Amino acid sequence: MALYTVGRRRVIIALLLTSVLLLTLDIRGNPVLDRVRDGFSRIMEPFESATDVVTTPATRAWHGMTNYDDLERENQALQDQLDRLIGTQATARISVQEYQELRALLNLPSLAGIPTEVAQVVGASANNLDQIIEINKGRSSGFKVGMPVVNQAGLIGKITSVTDNTAKVMLITDARYVVPVRVQAAPDDAEQTPVETRPSGRTDEELRDLVTTTSAPPTTLATDVLDTGTVLPQGDDGTVPVTTVEEPTDPDETAPVETDPGEPAVEATTTTIATDLAPKEFGALEGRGRGLLPQIRFLQDNPGLATLQVGDLVVTAGGADSLAPPDIPVGVVINRADRSGPGGPLLDIQPYADVTKLNFVRVVKYTPLSEVER
Amino acid sequence: MLAALWQGPLVRLVPVGMVLLALQRSIFVEITVAGVIIQVVLALAAAAGAAGGSERGAVAGFVLGLMYDMLEGLPLGSTAIAMTLAGAVAGLLALIVAEPHWWLAMLFTGLGAAVGEIMVPVVRLFTGATDPFEQRLTLIVPVVAAAAAVLSPIFVPLARWCLGIKRAEWVAPPRETPV
Repeated sequence: MALYTVGRRRVIIALLLTSVLLLTLDIRGNPVLDRVRDGFSRIMEPFESATDVVTTPATRAWHGMTNYDDLERENQALQDQLDRLIGTQATARISVQEYQELRALLNLPSLAGIPTEVAQVVGASANNLDQIIEINKGRSSGFKVGMPVVNQAGLIGKITSVTDNTAKVMLITDARYVVPVRVQAAPDDAEQTPVETRPSGRTDEELRDLVTTTSAPPTTLATDVLDTGTVLPQGDDGTVPVTTVEEPTDPDETAPVETDPGEPAVEATTTTIATDLAPKEFGALEGRGRGLLPQIRFLQDNPGLATLQVGDLVVTAGGADSLAPPDIPVGVVINRADRSGPGGPLLDIQPYADVTKLNFVRVVKYTPLSEVER
Repeated sequence: MLAALWQGPLVRLVPVGMVLLALQRSIFVEITVAGVIIQVVLALAAAAGAAGGSERGAVAGFVLGLMYDMLEGLPLGSTAIAMTLAGAVAGLLALIVAEPHWWLAMLFTGLGAAVGEIMVPVVRLFTGATDPFEQRLTLIVPVVAAAAAVLSPIFVPLARWCLGIKRAEWVAPPRETPV
């Protein structure tokens, strides 16, 4: 083997300088390089599809060996969670509807009026620093760089690059991710207990008494169904049939209950949580990399107005320049670190969405007001 | 130089790199070691250095790094710098012996991969990332280096084939004819 020479050193330096030049051109934005990148991605598509087919059995075998116990535990936990969610779903629907009506009345921007599109996660970043996933839809579906991406739990990230048929999504845990957020007060423990009421304000016991004094068939309350774990009867369209109790205009007067004699009836209930979700403070949520929780910076604690504390809720702040619309749930404060000086406290956030297990996501086709005006 | 690259190692290196990239983005994203993704493309770049010296290692690292950047959507050249240095460092270490033993090739490949992995956050720092040096880097670098070393018995011959490197042959001096 030849010894180390000046010629060799020149080749290495030339390659490094070429890399720096390309890096500079690409960071400043170069359409030619973008086209080259798109072209290479297309060339690689059949390679990646074929590799996926070949390696899927090996991957499954590996997961089968290493993740079986975890999956079993997770399955049990999810089953418990599902049982609880079925209970709250019906009442939550009513709350969401009321919330949307109120938003519409106040003419406030919300996620409800923004078109979204579901996409499937088809890949993840191959290096150890980036927290980026790849989804199977791109420019052809109307996706643009900067659009926020959510799942059923809350915000998961934003689109950072798009090709015709794919897009890359930077997750909220990536060290380069920043989004303006609003911290708002969590409901007190005492107030977190849902209070179930009827439109008349009567309690379940009162209504039971009311029903037994009439000749109506036995009535099954929603709470009874959930307590016993019975599956709610569903109609053809999958909705839970609800029979309303007509309240008498005179509280002293009893009225018959309209129910279908053939099947148990479920009374309409409204679960309310008496909360005061007043905004406390605005800040910037920043990701910190794989395995670390995102943090909120640029906060000022003003004890006279509100104290930032563990359990506070975090939602996107919106605003003219923000890439995300307001009120997308982000997470909950699980730790507060006070700093000396004017820096203000740091808040550790536990995101609602589990970004390590993503399958389907929803891209919010939102354009910030500042972009619309341009 | 570009024509020489195309006629020389690129014909084999590019397709092999494409297959490795596809593997990197499928199976090696799923199969991790202590949560660290094994960097097979970086391992090939370092193995090319251990097999063919610093110049060939740098060329292989540059080409593989550009391919990696293009597919991952990273700024073009960011990973290329890291992999060029990985190949060059592995090649420089390999200069201490004429024909490195398999275990020496493992060592050089591992060290080259370690340098490459360390360079990734360094490049990020220069491209504007605020705090690219994660605490996990102390775990990531040894795992990536060890994996590259383990893979080197496969990757060093593969790199030799890609770059058209032949093993050194020791030829006995010609016999002197008696006077």
